[in-house]
Amino acid sequence: MTAVIKTEKLTKDYGSGRGLLDLELEVQEGEVFGYLGPNGAGKTTTIRLLMGLIHPTAGAASIFGLDCWRRAVEIKKVIGYVPGEPSLDPNLTGGQILEYFANLRGRVDRAYLKQLIQRLDLDTSRKFRHYSTGNKRKVVLIQAFMHKPRLLILDEPTSGLDPLNQQEFDRMLIEARDEGRTAFLSSHVLSEVEKTCTRVGIIRDGRLVRVGGVAELKDIRRYEITISFAQPVPAETFEKLEGVAEVERLNDGRTVRLAMQGAADAVIKAAAQFPVVSLTSYEPSLEDIFLRYYEPDGKASKETAGVV
Amino acid sequence: MWFRSVYLKTLRDFRVPILGWGLGLGLLMAVVIAALPTVLATPAARAAVVALGPAFAWFAEPVKIDTPGGYATWKYGLTVLVVAIWPILAQTATLRGEEEKGSLDTLLSVPLARARLAVEKVAAMWTALLVFAVIVGLLAFAGTAKASVDFGLGDTILFGVNIALIAAVFGAVALFVSQFVQERRTAAGITAGVLLVCVVLDMVHRVEPGTDWISRLSPVYYYNLSKPLIPSYGTNVGAMLVQLAITVALSAAAVWLFVRRDLGDTVHLPGVSRQPKAMRRPVAALPVGDWTLRSVYARSLGMIAIPTLWWTLAIAGFSAWMVDVVKQTASQLRSILEGSPVMKDFIRIGGSDAASNSGILSALFIFAPILLMSFAVTQSNRWSADLEDGRLELVLSTPQPRVNVMLGRFAALATATVAISLLTLAATALASSLTGVALDGGKLIAATLSMIPLALLVAAIGYALSGWLRAAVDTGLVSFLLVIWFVIVFLGPGLKWPDATLRLSALYYYGTPLLNGVQIANILVIVFVGAAALALAATRFVRKDLAA
Repeated sequence: MTAVIKTEKLTKDYGSGRGLLDLELEVQEGEVFGYLGPNGAGKTTTIRLLMGLIHPTAGAASIFGLDCWRRAVEIKKVIGYVPGEPSLDPNLTGGQILEYFANLRGRVDRAYLKQLIQRLDLDTSRKFRHYSTGNKRKVVLIQAFMHKPRLLILDEPTSGLDPLNQQEFDRMLIEARDEGRTAFLSSHVLSEVEKTCTRVGIIRDGRLVRVGGVAELKDIRRYEITISFAQPVPAETFEKLEGVAEVERLNDGRTVRLAMQGAADAVIKAAAQFPVVSLTSYEPSLEDIFLRYYEPDGKASKETAGVV
Repeated sequence: MWFRSVYLKTLRDFRVPILGWGLGLGLLMAVVIAALPTVLATPAARAAVVALGPAFAWFAEPVKIDTPGGYATWKYGLTVLVVAIWPILAQTATLRGEEEKGSLDTLLSVPLARARLAVEKVAAMWTALLVFAVIVGLLAFAGTAKASVDFGLGDTILFGVNIALIAAVFGAVALFVSQFVQERRTAAGITAGVLLVCVVLDMVHRVEPGTDWISRLSPVYYYNLSKPLIPSYGTNVGAMLVQLAITVALSAAAVWLFVRRDLGDTVHLPGVSRQPKAMRRPVAALPVGDWTLRSVYARSLGMIAIPTLWWTLAIAGFSAWMVDVVKQTASQLRSILEGSPVMKDFIRIGGSDAASNSGILSALFIFAPILLMSFAVTQSNRWSADLEDGRLELVLSTPQPRVNVMLGRFAALATATVAISLLTLAATALASSLTGVALDGGKLIAATLSMIPLALLVAAIGYALSGWLRAAVDTGLVSFLLVIWFVIVFLGPGLKWPDATLRLSALYYYGTPLLNGVQIANILVIVFVGAAALALAATRFVRKDLAA
């Protein structure tokens, strides 16, 4: 596979410990890559470095083998971009903005552009200043998709969109993926990432702490088993068992909640010695994994060490 | 301390500009007052100045202009009005600007009444202007330390208060106007127009006898009724109260309207019907044949078109009016200019004399390039603000080289300045033809077209500074530079400043083209420095990180 995006020790130092540090990342052609992280983690900095809007303090980033800073103009011929906080001329109508950007890009299929406008149900006659947050987002989404770019770089693309339009955006992204195009998107909407992304990267304090397929991340053996017994059971029964990370006895004294990391075989066998009323297993969502990475320092890295 | 209330927070926002303007104007007054006794040392010099006064009455009323206080009041009577620019910008940014940014939504989410919020912001502005008045007064008084003058600290403070009052009037106008328009910039532009009209209205009664009633419509008229630096003329408390009353009335009206209208909306004027939103059907069409959307240059031209129209009216109208002023007072002016060492020095900047209509007009024509340069300041501010607000980010996500984006904007500005200059040429030629004031066509062309490099120099400096500085600081510095250049050519010859100092002003190189035609070497200096500034701006813009 060809690396569409490649960064090598990419660093942007804003001072005071802020910025991005030694980012090593590859996004392959045809992938939809989700980039997750809390506010200030370095997501937008990464995206702006890729877009050639800011230059790196150290390291390098390339798109289609071209340096993001030096060859920015060539790269942008094949990129569609949605900024995190779009700022456009408030006096232009949505239609004027789209026409202007179509002219700046060149070779935009007006029929496809109108199709996008209809899909996202945008009223192009209103001035940008009069648009709601969601409609402003629609304008920038349409301008990012209108030239069918080979690479989409999207910073929080669905922020402010209503659920219907979020679904339409998901469909547009999946269509792009099915056509073999690549997307790099940052998001806080983890369900959206789960639905549309093939791989995910998690960034924290300017460092990439985790990269993997969505399925791989969900495969972390940290999950919960809740067992209700007919009578109280000593908590120590499960404490030393293989795969059990933590045992919590609930108030009624007959229910235990087990935090698991690894196989459940020993737990099942131990539980079988008592009369079991119910047993539920809860698989972590991507959101749970994501939140675990942002637990207080030390905890997350310890628990996930060595997994995947 | 600064974050305890809206009042204190707003005052905190004002602290740098108010100190800057206060120190700037205060130091200027101190220098002028300290130097004037030298200029007016001999009876001949004083007589020449006194003789000059009536001819320049259109500019400011000449009262005891052979005294330091009188001369300073007369010569700076009009120019101190530039101080009004800051309150205009600040008051439009206060409510309307914060609504545009959306920050007022958050501020009003706290349990704070709208009226209270608006009143605290207005009070902060008045406090800031009072601080400004005291700074100007103290510094002006400091200028009297080694000069023999007949006014004291109380008078210089009153001088500062009078300026602060007229500035507050236009700040209040800006606040009022911003209740009716959607954009901060529009409100500031309209108020600047009102300021210009008020200045002209005030001038009318000094040019046309029997038109006092017209001038009374202008707040500037009441500002000019107080001359605290001339003890025998004194301070007109009534006139000051009129200014205060206008300020309070307009501010109260603005607050009243602000409290009643929708946030982010404008006051709905009676009789202006609006299409109900429910009747609108979504439109999915794209504009057809809109030439302004074809390129960065075309879009930039579209953006600059309306301001260009207004500035053309101001600059071309002013230039044509100057021709009429020459016609009205030609003989009087000619005899005075020939006999006045002060004005001879002023005119000598371009190596000229005052023996013709062109010579007289040439002395007045210096204001036309200053106006065009002011237009360039506003447009370089727009570039700087767009850069700061991140409006270029999406444009630069298209395959447009950065340098093309910047030069596209600059080229549109250059086109606008050429258009303004050509229309000024046409208006002046028409005025010359209608009034019978004979002007050399070639030199008139030189005088109008020579303004272009000056305006582009100012813009290029503004563009270059935007590579490092925030928009407000950038614009403040370029405006200050323009004021300094003006002071150098307006004051320098009279104060016998060395030629090397005069050469620091770009206006020096403009000279008197109406009289002497194009001085290629001087124009080339401006073009060269302008090109260097533009190259620096482009180099910096290509390399700099774009604001998030």
